[in-house]
Amino acid sequence: MVNKIIEVGYGKVNKVRIGDKLPLAFIGGPCAIESRDHAFMMAEAIGKICRKIGIDWIYKSCYDKDCRSAPDSFHGLGVDDGLRILADIRDEFGIPVVSDFSDPAWGPATGEVCDMVQVPAYLCRQTSILRAAAATNRPIHLKKGQFMSPWNMKNSVRKIEAAGNHQVLLADRGTFLGYNMLVNDFTCLPIMAKTGYPVCFDATHSIQLPTSMGNISGGQREFIPYLVRAAAACGINALFMETHNDPDNAMSDANTVLNIKHLENVLSQAKAAHEFRLEMLEKFGEDNVHPEK
Amino acid sequence: MSIPKNSMLVSDVMISKDKVPTVQKETILKEALEEMGRTRLGIICIINDSKKLLGILTDGDIRRKLLKVQKPFPAFFVDDVIEHSICSPYTIMADDTLVYAVALMEQKQIWDLPVVDSAGILVGLLHLHPAVKVLLGNKDNVFG
Repeated sequence: MVNKIIEVGYGKVNKVRIGDKLPLAFIGGPCAIESRDHAFMMAEAIGKICRKIGIDWIYKSCYDKDCRSAPDSFHGLGVDDGLRILADIRDEFGIPVVSDFSDPAWGPATGEVCDMVQVPAYLCRQTSILRAAAATNRPIHLKKGQFMSPWNMKNSVRKIEAAGNHQVLLADRGTFLGYNMLVNDFTCLPIMAKTGYPVCFDATHSIQLPTSMGNISGGQREFIPYLVRAAAACGINALFMETHNDPDNAMSDANTVLNIKHLENVLSQAKAAHEFRLEMLEKFGEDNVHPEK
Repeated sequence: MSIPKNSMLVSDVMISKDKVPTVQKETILKEALEEMGRTRLGIICIINDSKKLLGILTDGDIRRKLLKVQKPFPAFFVDDVIEHSICSPYTIMADDTLVYAVALMEQKQIWDLPVVDSAGILVGLLHLHPAVKVLLGNKDNVFG
């Protein structure tokens, strides 16, 4: 199996290479684009932390939150306004950006602006979305649905490849354990990595308690560092975390986003764990426990 | 092993390459099994884009795997077929004698031999039953 490397970033932004034994990449930002000022403030603050730590990052924020539970929950700024802000963030900060999209019709516009396009976990097996994502010719951040087995994500990967795109990042964001509860099965990571594509761990959605609050999701933020350390030790190529300066008042995923005051600490640990894992593999040899053929 | 000679060649009896069940190495196991089922030969050949033989998978290989693989069936089904294949199978050439081929199958206790050229390109498949039938002199009614 060849470990593929994807490169995120076109034009003048910083190029972020993800995969194989490269340094850990970070994908993060506020869940939703709340306003231009807030998006810029967050990009400035996260960028400062990432520069200090020395980690390449991709700014993530969405223009449309189509999976809200309540009809009156914040839905997002919409395609035009949201993408305009993301485009301006690219220009201002020189960083690649990613947003998900929930309607195949939004694919072309999303791919025109974003350096990477994200397929929401709930839609990870929808052929129309996967084809639309592939058609952007951008790297695709494909999240494993909470209802999906890791090995069946290969089917989604095949749909993307059949549509001519061979740049995929597969993410684990937890798996349903009954109702309103997620667990992380870390074997998901090596199983999805068997596709040859790099893998990502979505820490902030993994601690989500889906729709546990009746019409919104809850979450147990206190477990974020534990899961991050475990995932980085297990083996990932990228870490995804949504972060916010005021989680309690975040307009989306308020119960799961990481307070930015903790970002430097958690990211530093993730980077250190990733580097230590690579050192261990170098010192002791590659994982050599494989099933007999 | 002393090999008796016979005028009949493998090419006289082999299944031609267009009728040999083949899949690519990335084909998932479930689709490979379906292809095997269609031809009812109990074997499938794994080839690359240049038709070079990369391996084979037989009913017996699957049977042994079922007793060995410690993963759920849904995961097993989506593995690349090459993961479960025999990657250095016994092969034979089209201009080898039929008697030699059958003797080889008897010695190795196998039912099929992929037929390849000197570059390893798959050119056919020799199945035991038609080979034996020819060697028996096409006797359709040996049981009286």
